[in-house]
Amino acid sequence: MRKPDPSIRIAVTGAGIICSTGRNKAEVWQSIVEMRAGIAKLTRFAGETFPTDIAAEAENTLPIGRREAKRLSRTDLLAVVAAREALEQANDGASVPLPLERAVVSTGTSTGGLLEGEEYYFRRLKRGRRRAPASQVLQQPTSGPTDAVARVFGLGGGVVSNATACASAGAAIGMASDYLKSGHADVAIAGGSDALCRLTYSGFNVLQAVDPEPCSPFGATRKGITLGEGAGFLVLERWDDAVARGATILAELTGYGASCDAHHPTAPHEGGRGAEAAMRGALGEAGLTAVDYVNAHGTGTLLNDSAETKAIIAAVGSDVPVSSSKSYFGHTLGASGAIEAVVTVLALQHQIAPPTLRLEQAADDCPLDYIPHTPRPMAMTNVLSNTFGFGGSNVSLAFRKA
Amino acid sequence: MVRIPITGIGVVAPGAIGVDAFRALLAGGRSSVVEIDRFDTAGLSAHKAALLRDFKPRDYIAPMKMRRMNALSRLGVAAAKLAIDDCGAAPGPETGVAIGTSFGPVQTSVEYMQEYVEKGPSLAPPQLFAESVANAPGSHIAIEWGLRGFNVTITQRESSALAAAMYAATQIVKGSVPSALIGGVEEANEMLFSVLDRIGALAHANGTADEAARPFDRRRNGIALGEGGAVLIAGAGTRKPYGWLSGFGIARDTTASISDWGSDPQRVVVAMQAALDDAELPLESIDAIYASANGSLRGDAVEQQAIQSLFGANVPPVVATKGLFGEYAAGGALQLAAALIALDEQKLHASPGFEQGDLPVTRETRDAELRHLLVHSVSAGGGIVCAVLSREGA
Repeated sequence: MRKPDPSIRIAVTGAGIICSTGRNKAEVWQSIVEMRAGIAKLTRFAGETFPTDIAAEAENTLPIGRREAKRLSRTDLLAVVAAREALEQANDGASVPLPLERAVVSTGTSTGGLLEGEEYYFRRLKRGRRRAPASQVLQQPTSGPTDAVARVFGLGGGVVSNATACASAGAAIGMASDYLKSGHADVAIAGGSDALCRLTYSGFNVLQAVDPEPCSPFGATRKGITLGEGAGFLVLERWDDAVARGATILAELTGYGASCDAHHPTAPHEGGRGAEAAMRGALGEAGLTAVDYVNAHGTGTLLNDSAETKAIIAAVGSDVPVSSSKSYFGHTLGASGAIEAVVTVLALQHQIAPPTLRLEQAADDCPLDYIPHTPRPMAMTNVLSNTFGFGGSNVSLAFRKA
Repeated sequence: MVRIPITGIGVVAPGAIGVDAFRALLAGGRSSVVEIDRFDTAGLSAHKAALLRDFKPRDYIAPMKMRRMNALSRLGVAAAKLAIDDCGAAPGPETGVAIGTSFGPVQTSVEYMQEYVEKGPSLAPPQLFAESVANAPGSHIAIEWGLRGFNVTITQRESSALAAAMYAATQIVKGSVPSALIGGVEEANEMLFSVLDRIGALAHANGTADEAARPFDRRRNGIALGEGGAVLIAGAGTRKPYGWLSGFGIARDTTASISDWGSDPQRVVVAMQAALDDAELPLESIDAIYASANGSLRGDAVEQQAIQSLFGANVPPVVATKGLFGEYAAGGALQLAAALIALDEQKLHASPGFEQGDLPVTRETRDAELRHLLVHSVSAGGGIVCAVLSREGA
């Protein structure tokens, strides 16, 4: 087996995003600069009553043709929208187009096409299994978004779907970088996608993990997450290949770390030991001991924000500015690692750290600088983006300014 | 050149629990596909599946812990325990976990939605929600043995377990972890079976042939659904390695639709050749192929053409294991376990279901000198992962 070559640098040459605050990078970044969150009353699942009633929904009608959308789930469609933006950017201005036949798709999702699966299930309950169309549920598997992106864009380098709960997309991006370094592929379309569905909306509510008000990561009154949806994708290439193609390099993915708490099926380890290990892994691969900014997982739950804060202090010290972009577009679950990686790349490009909205007062167990309220222009060279999930899986990605 | 040793195998398979029983199942070459009595198949075309029998999770998991686990988690933890016992050494705390599952917790989602409908969205049970994530089995394995390395779950249809093996092996080669548990879990249930039946994917009686999966056979008309769990220990152990992971290759058939196989054998050839290149081995070094073939019309056809295209007049013996334990069994990990046992025993296994076809498919289990094997997984949706397994570490 070839070893991933540590001397190979990974360039980010494309980025795409869709979430409740916008359909592309420009719109999402505008919302960040204007301090405008995308959290409102839940409109989906009309007539079904949940203990809380807010969410960060992406627009209902997605910018995608009907023909292309045929047979795809909403999670697939979100993925296709974000992947298209990333692929177009990677080719924009380059003298040589991306080698699509050697492009691997590595995607994370938590629930895939479960939204459509639920509708199929309801139909079966009403009409019996003989009269429910099985075609409706073909895209339920969590391989759906990966296969959809590969199919729509004709990508031939392989497909790998990651269903590691909310750490899925971070893991998918890390995995892709290794396959580039070991020569298994020449390009990676790596990201994540998740649409809101009943199971997750109801499930986090019955776990009492949802804040009835818009989430307040690291805040003294935080009560939990705000559920969101969306997709994010990065185009990754070996640095020299990107230069040879004449592509514009947006940032460098300098390392990633993956770990497990081995502690509890849903709760993080109180001391943040797995989160710390993931950050140390990313720092180690990037050859760093400190960073200029951390885009935190920052869900707004009591346990996560406290544990992550301890982990950040242990891994990179207590002086580093930290913020949670989830205060804008909620917790997008399996997509969060990719959506927040895109935001992190944008932050590096603009040299502006996104703030944590609604942070009136940080909690006693959250003693860091969380960049409250307003975006902060600051010099950033090396940064981390954290993603943790159910099952205690943790991934941290290290990016460097291009 | 680096190869990764497999030093433990744990199997919870249809017709075999534990590696010794699995060896016997493979040697016997009899299919463990049976009439389904677990759920109602009335009105469906297919009525058989490779189902687990006599699996008692309490033999492997403490009752208090078992209550928190769905069927997939129980399969994963039981298979991991069997693998660790087989290896003879407990994995260290830096060990990683990579689990493959084709469809994951479909049944748990169905049960959650039943409660959702009956009790309302506010009163569905949180325990079911906690187990509704596909990575629950990998998480329970990590908790049970304190494994703090990477923990990922890959869901790439028929390629899930091989893709998980590829990631885990890459992490060991890279030096991120010293060892890893690689495996797969899958559960046969009414929802999955009936949907696969409705789309015509399952083998069924058609007037000229009985209901059976017939990989590579001219009369094949679909797959048999399988289930089970399997875990392999990758990294040093106390026993002699079963075999070594030597190389991997991935590709995608761009002619595939989102839910069916494609028709371009050259894309499968690309992945086969990439695995050989990764292993730094010539084509002639391959002594046999443990094929992906599952009895599907298109999947088997594209794989057969790929084998013929790459090997030309010198096609080595081909073993199709999915007539034994069905497709998706342990997320594809049983096929991988079977190939490792072939290397260990220097024995090629029979391919039940195959009678007439154009490849040299094994009809009975026999002794053979096996240095290197190719293992294929060719997926609906177009994903392809191939691996080279070797008898020796260098």
